Amino acid sequence: MSGFSLLVIAATDPAWFDVDKLPVLIAAIVSIIVIFYATFHRSRRGKFQVREIAGLKAVEDAIGRCTEMARPLLFTPGWGGDIQRPTTIASMNILAHVAEKTAQYDCRLVYPTHDPVIMAVAQEVTREAYARAGCADRYRQDDISYVTSSQFGYAAAVDGQISRLKPASVFLLGTFEAESLILAETGNSIGAIQIAGTDSTIQLSFFIVACDYTLIGEELFVASGYLSGDDSILASVRAQDMLKVLIGLLLVVAVVWNTICELTGAAEQSWWSF
Amino acid sequence: MNRRVALVICFGFGVVMFAQYFSKHPLARGVNQAVLEYWQIIFAFALLLGVVSFFQNNIKQIGHGSDRPYRTVSLVGLLAMPVAAVIGGIGAGSPFLWIFENVQAPMQSTVFALLAFFVASASFRGFRARSVPAAILLGAAILILLSRSAIGGPLSGWLPDTADWIRHHPSMAARRAILIGIGLGSLTTSLRVIVGIERTWLGGKK
Amino acid sequence: MNRVVSRHWIFLGLFVLVALTMGSGIRLDTPVSDRTAELYNFIESLPEGSMLLVSFDHEASSLPEIRPIGQALLRHAFRKNHRLIGMALLAEGTAIGYRLMQQAAAEYGKEYGKDYAYLGFKPQYIAAILSMGESIPATFPEDYLGRPYESLEVLDGVATYADVAAVLSIADGSLTTHWMEYGRARYGVRIVSGVTAAMVTTYDPYLASGQMHAMMGGLRGAAEYEDLIACPGGGKRGMLAQTATHLYVIVLIGLGNLSYFLARRKKEKR
Repeated sequence: MSGFSLLVIAATDPAWFDVDKLPVLIAAIVSIIVIFYATFHRSRRGKFQVREIAGLKAVEDAIGRCTEMARPLLFTPGWGGDIQRPTTIASMNILAHVAEKTAQYDCRLVYPTHDPVIMAVAQEVTREAYARAGCADRYRQDDISYVTSSQFGYAAAVDGQISRLKPASVFLLGTFEAESLILAETGNSIGAIQIAGTDSTIQLSFFIVACDYTLIGEELFVASGYLSGDDSILASVRAQDMLKVLIGLLLVVAVVWNTICELTGAAEQSWWSF
Repeated sequence: MNRRVALVICFGFGVVMFAQYFSKHPLARGVNQAVLEYWQIIFAFALLLGVVSFFQNNIKQIGHGSDRPYRTVSLVGLLAMPVAAVIGGIGAGSPFLWIFENVQAPMQSTVFALLAFFVASASFRGFRARSVPAAILLGAAILILLSRSAIGGPLSGWLPDTADWIRHHPSMAARRAILIGIGLGSLTTSLRVIVGIERTWLGGKK
Repeated sequence: MNRVVSRHWIFLGLFVLVALTMGSGIRLDTPVSDRTAELYNFIESLPEGSMLLVSFDHEASSLPEIRPIGQALLRHAFRKNHRLIGMALLAEGTAIGYRLMQQAAAEYGKEYGKDYAYLGFKPQYIAAILSMGESIPATFPEDYLGRPYESLEVLDGVATYADVAAVLSIADGSLTTHWMEYGRARYGVRIVSGVTAAMVTTYDPYLASGQMHAMMGGLRGAAEYEDLIACPGGGKRGMLAQTATHLYVIVLIGLGNLSYFLARRKKEKR
């Protein structure tokens, strides 16, 4: 039996294919096509342009400030995420860029985390960044450390590090929960420049009040592509924009369709009820 | 070579887990269950890695003389809890549960309570009507604060209604837009990981 | 220096205010909101003996807010003679959840194993939620006390989410999102929740879209729920402190703006 026949059987047999999930499958396939299109057609379009985001421009200044003041830079990915979380991956891309710069400027980079896997990955990312900068000897593994998996234990540990080390700049980039304001206010109290970014909508309001620059939601993903100079990440951002347009159109169609159905009293008869 | 093996495993599991989502077949469900069990086993080893690293790091730093009191307290805590659990168990009346309820829980609540103090100082410092949008934001914040307290309703009937309207319409619209953006970001990142374009999780790009 | 001093005064003021109001013992009336009433009506409308899976998705830190929420919900569920299965997705919630269930069960004369059971903690929350969708006994072969799953009468015939009326997530963070994203979206189980005030707005979109069935939020929600079940507790006790704190923050915002505008006027005059 050929592979195609197996696929046909799988797709038509209700035991193999859950028909209730057909809309999810269609949405997933459309999204995958758009993402692949944007990723593999990027070479013909030249460089991607990203609109100016204040937080991105401030990254260099923040690292420079640490060097001038001879104080460390503290970078933490928050308590809410693990390594499979996209915000953590985006945060790692930014870490790679920041670590390369701190290596060049001989500035100490401190990275406390709540997750042992994130710690291991961050150590690798940082080690490689230091090697790329030609300063492998400046890399300090002990500064990339696991503190605790407990939320407020983590908050207390990072707070303690901020209070004792007095970093000139604090990067709060990743998935944050209730610890966000505790960290941001402590950073503010020691006068550090703070750049924050998260996908947790509720914590964004805290960061906006307490930090100097805040990357809102997907700006974090843009930042990781922009700073790492990786065109494939920027291509993904373009794919997201295309999908957003599609979703926007779908929403408009749904609203118009539903309004017409309501006005004409055809809501019950419509073949596709939104 | 090691990295290539990891990428192949990632791709294989990514495709299988994507496909099994759309199937009710016992085979698909069995695969899902097995993968989830292994996931938890792997996590246990990862936690062990964290504890060992924490222990080593603190011992080393104590040797160097940096933050000695703090690190000593951390290590004592790290050792005391498992020892108490092994000796007295973790049930009601055990030393482990006593330490948890009378030391750890109050300490954690204290750190959480700091949030209230920081909210107070941040609102004093940062919540300024510097522009018209900032003033609107300020007004909305005050309305919500009043509506969530006990005097909101008695003060005026329209206050909780207005606060609910703010939360359920303008605020929710903004949050939904951010959520859609985040969802799409997650989707693209996951796909990039599965097909091997995104390799940061392996500790580097090459 | 000025900034540090002002911060300290603000902190001290808040501390004194909370201490005085908590110590006063005054209980304020709180009108019941539609949202809290919806959750109450949902639990009320379930047929007697319905199975509820209560997940304690919180840490020890949020106990002052979580305890009244959990107590009110558990008391209501036991009073309605529903059967309860307890569990925790965060290690620190495990002992707290067990204790809360034991206390509420004792108040209503419920028996462990017959009317309720406690399965304990499962690490890796996403994996745990998904795994329970495939098989709850395979995910928790033993309960919190080490007894085999099959030996507990209350768990008879409970194999997957299809056998529970709803999952009740008592949470102080985003774990309820995972219940909706994996439990609800994947296995179709109804999700209801009791969450801390800080998380309420996070879950508003899910409630509006129907992904979450009903929700109660914060100390205020707990106070309202205590009124509904006519059983005053920590929620009612904390309302004066919460109200006073909200007013304190409003006053601080006012003072902050006053100083800002005065400083601006001074600058303009120069």
